[in-house]
Amino acid sequence: MNEQISRLVDGEIDAADLDAVCAHLKGEAGMATWTCYHTIGDALRGETAVTRSVRIAVARQLEGEPTVLGPRLHGVERPASWAWALAASLAAVTVVGWTAYSLVDSTPAGFAKAGEAGTMRAAQLRPPSVPADYLLAHQEYAPANALQSVGPYLRDVAATSPPVRPVAAQ
Amino acid sequence: MPAQRAPRKSRIAGRIVPAVFVLALVASNARAGDAMAWLTRAAQAARELNYTGTIVYQIGPRVESSRITHLFDGGREYAKLVNLDGPAREVVRSQGEVRCYYPDAKLVRVEPGTFRNVFPSLSAEQQESLSRYYDFRVLADDRVGGRPVQVVVFDPRDGLRYGHRFWSDRATGLLLRASVLNERGESIEQFSFSDLTMNARIEPAMVEPSWPSVPSDWQVLEGVSGDVVSQDTGWVVTRVPPGFAKIMEGYRKLRGRRERIAHIVLSDGLVSVSVFVEPGIASTAPAGPLQKGGLNVYRVRLDDHLITVMGETPGATVRQIAHSVAHR
Repeated sequence: MNEQISRLVDGEIDAADLDAVCAHLKGEAGMATWTCYHTIGDALRGETAVTRSVRIAVARQLEGEPTVLGPRLHGVERPASWAWALAASLAAVTVVGWTAYSLVDSTPAGFAKAGEAGTMRAAQLRPPSVPADYLLAHQEYAPANALQSVGPYLRDVAATSPPVRPVAAQ
Repeated sequence: MPAQRAPRKSRIAGRIVPAVFVLALVASNARAGDAMAWLTRAAQAARELNYTGTIVYQIGPRVESSRITHLFDGGREYAKLVNLDGPAREVVRSQGEVRCYYPDAKLVRVEPGTFRNVFPSLSAEQQESLSRYYDFRVLADDRVGGRPVQVVVFDPRDGLRYGHRFWSDRATGLLLRASVLNERGESIEQFSFSDLTMNARIEPAMVEPSWPSVPSDWQVLEGVSGDVVSQDTGWVVTRVPPGFAKIMEGYRKLRGRRERIAHIVLSDGLVSVSVFVEPGIASTAPAGPLQKGGLNVYRVRLDDHLITVMGETPGATVRQIAHSVAHR
């Protein structure tokens, strides 16, 4: 579940999982995790003075789960920048979610606003897919592809590859 | 995955070693020759035979079936692929052009040009790469689609490549099954004939698209027409992974944009990696890795350019290449 919360914070959650996560966030444990992840983001952005008690809470949380945040963030190798990627992806959610409640505010109203922001973000997300036009241009140069005639183009038309129409054709 | 067997052998002291080393070299040269011979025969069979059959395509945990029909007539190749599961889609190849039909999106993608850089016309450098960076072995015979097949494997000698296993029809050399293997030897992408009719009588209509004229409310996306002209784009891969060499560089017109997109292709003789550099990109453009079966993609933003690297290699290889793309 912490992984799901982390995904929500990253803005990467599936719409299907959203309900389950929001339900969990109503509990104390879930709220602590949510708070923790937001706090980390803010602290790393340097925007908020992090109180001593929160620092302790964050440290305790991290002690328990050293690896939750690390693996998800894609392809960024320098240690500090994963935190910025996290912070950047938080921006849309945090504007509503963070201001809606403080570190200790777990009222239903505050929580509902965070859930709303999460839904908005989830709806804007599409599962990232391999750029289809690049793929088609690339495939004619792979020597092994010539062993299969049109076989390699199975990748392009597989049911798993929805061909999103380009937004602007010039 | 075998790792550098020959050099390790040569480090062992002893008089017997040079003789063994020479024998191994001779054997590997013979195998290299076998590899090219095998690849050439398979490529020729794919191009020149008439056949129709059903292909099962596995990518990760997903399995899909497609119908494929291939005709070679008057020196020209025609082929059609129709998927049988999920939204109806087609791929039609004729006059060297490949068209992908997506009726669910009312879209046709057209890629002009035919396979380039293929057996037997692989450059000497590519052939050398192939034998040096892959260990080609013939395995025990097997049976696919009801036909006896020869099984060969291209085992990568380093972690920058995937393994490839091929099952080819003993009678004709046609590839009946191909599998891409990751570093643990697991199949991450496989295509396989489940039934096949060889030397079938193929009528031209069987390889024509279901939409001979594209409906007016469809969108047609075409790649550049005519041959891609080899040009200096001003972009360079500063750290080309061992075994790979640049085989093409030029400009493409893609994704309906007016700006030209640079396209550089690296190859190791068996697979290729494409580098696309697209100008005028917003800072919110997505970056990072993607994977689809045996294909890995990595995107990096550089100033206002988006560098997209994709290839039939592990993610580390495309990532390494992406981070080393620079402007001259």
